[in-house]
Amino acid sequence: MGYVTSIAGGFKTLVTGLGVTVKELFKKPVTLQYPHEKPELSPAYRSLIKLIRFDELGTHDCVACMQCVNICPSYCIKIEGGKVEGIKRKRATLFEVDFALCSVCGLCIDTCPTTTLEYSRLYDEAGYDRNWTYDLLAEYRDYEPEFREKQREVEAKEAAEREAKKEAAAKAKAAAEAKKKAAEKTPEKGDGDKKGGDA
Amino acid sequence: MSQKSHLGQLSEHVREDETYYLNMGPQHPSMHGVLRLLLHLQGETILECKPIIGYAHRAHEKMAEFRNYVMFLPNTSRVDYLSGMISNIAYCQAIEKLCSLDVPERAETIRVIACELNRIQSHLLWFGTFLLDLGGITPFLYCFDDREEILGILDRVTGSRLTYSYGRFGGVTLDVDEVFLQQATAFLKRLRKRFPMYESLVADNVIFRERCDGVGVISKEAAAKYHVTGPSLRAAGVAYDVRKAEPYGGYDRFDFEVPTRTAGDCLARFEVRMAEMEQSCRLVEQAIAKLPEGPIGPPKLIKKLKPPKGEFYFAVETARGSSGVYIVSDGSDTPVKLKLRTPSFSNLSSMPEILAGTEVADTIAIVGSIDVVLPEIDR
Ligand code: SF4
Ligand code: SF4
Repeated sequence: MGYVTSIAGGFKTLVTGLGVTVKELFKKPVTLQYPHEKPELSPAYRSLIKLIRFDELGTHDCVACMQCVNICPSYCIKIEGGKVEGIKRKRATLFEVDFALCSVCGLCIDTCPTTTLEYSRLYDEAGYDRNWTYDLLAEYRDYEPEFREKQREVEAKEAAEREAKKEAAAKAKAAAEAKKKAAEKTPEKGDGDKKGGDA
Repeated sequence: MSQKSHLGQLSEHVREDETYYLNMGPQHPSMHGVLRLLLHLQGETILECKPIIGYAHRAHEKMAEFRNYVMFLPNTSRVDYLSGMISNIAYCQAIEKLCSLDVPERAETIRVIACELNRIQSHLLWFGTFLLDLGGITPFLYCFDDREEILGILDRVTGSRLTYSYGRFGGVTLDVDEVFLQQATAFLKRLRKRFPMYESLVADNVIFRERCDGVGVISKEAAAKYHVTGPSLRAAGVAYDVRKAEPYGGYDRFDFEVPTRTAGDCLARFEVRMAEMEQSCRLVEQAIAKLPEGPIGPPKLIKKLKPPKGEFYFAVETARGSSGVYIVSDGSDTPVKLKLRTPSFSNLSSMPEILAGTEVADTIAIVGSIDVVLPEIDR
């Protein structure tokens, strides 16, 4: 008898379970039909890094400080650069990232002093070869001469301004000193006169 | 013949007694990851079991010795990829404690939310795959639907689905917004509604109960012997949870319980995990309610760290048990040794004792029920 009741009880639980699945059957499907439908990328989506273009510069602002190279745990960033002809601001002349190695950790982005790095929206990465090295400067090559030209002007202007300021400061200093001297001299006048007299 | 060479320390059983060896894994649809169990069988009964590991070894601990402290951050979420958030934050918390760095309260609370969501996610995945091991495909699909929600929510703020790298020394990378909090609240509501469904679909199911009840009992003594932690320990009746025993990361500010069962079998472990999800929901709710305004970390990334000389151990509770970071520092910016104590390893080491004498068909249920994550065992 116990046997029969346990079978009946067990059967009931199975039917209850089936009830749940049947209910689910009539719900809206949640499956996304990839690749016909694409998921919405998260705003914080992490992918290959890229250089940010700053409007005021017209280009990126990588100064080849190598901080990202040094902190990258995957050793996948390669940067060359430094001082370039004519301008004071240092520039990167080569910026390559091997995306196959990158662990998208974001340390390079967090460490960049000029905040010129961010994640790109690269998605769907698949291919037939193993070369995933990206040249991040590729889109900036055209802007570079223009930027340098502008930068030279800016720097010249800044230098001139600085020079002017310096001059002004020097002048002000000289004036102040002269004033001070003059102020100092006043009480010494008698001495001076004396000295003069002596002479 | 090559079989012979693999036997290693397995005691020699004479073959004429009709025993035989069976390799379960490393490529087995029901083995979690690349675990290989060498089973010595007599008929259907397991005489001896030897777990063979190392197939997913990536030398994380060695890597730490060649990187400075901050460069080890991305590794941490790849050790236990199902509790990626918890391990990642655990490493940050260890370093913060070691170097006495302050964490703003907002960052701490965000961490609790993220970690508990991660824990629910991990338990949901376990739930699904465990049922899959037992032959039930439907619950797997349902809980992956729920899990997908969590991944989406975390993806929105961290930018990643599993390997988060969300923690930074002294805080987190990105701030959460109103939408995140709304999504998390909505998710909890949804999950709470799903629990009864799981109950009637799975927990009451006669086949499920028959396969779990009284199967694979890990007693208190066995758990203590092998340092089993996490839900497997709590299912044996020991209310040990690192979050309660040695509160870290602000967990002492929240009110939650440590669910326990006494049977120690697969069913008890199942029930403990289900109850834990409920507790995690409570934690997230409280954290959302308490979330203060303020900074989420130091204004600049802390790059150079020189912890004081000495040895240091810090443990947290991941979804699988007590997970620890052991650091030996010589005062430089690179650890001399960084060891990760992972719960799956200890939990798995109890298996030879537990599996001996059980039926082969129960192996999958038992190994599945302790929730091993292979990359965590191999590191
Ligand atoms: S840290 Fe920033 S500025 Fe420095 S090299 Fe890297 S990208 Fe360029
Ligand atoms: S995201 Fe991480 S791994 Fe990738 S380039 Fe930046 S620092 Fe290197």
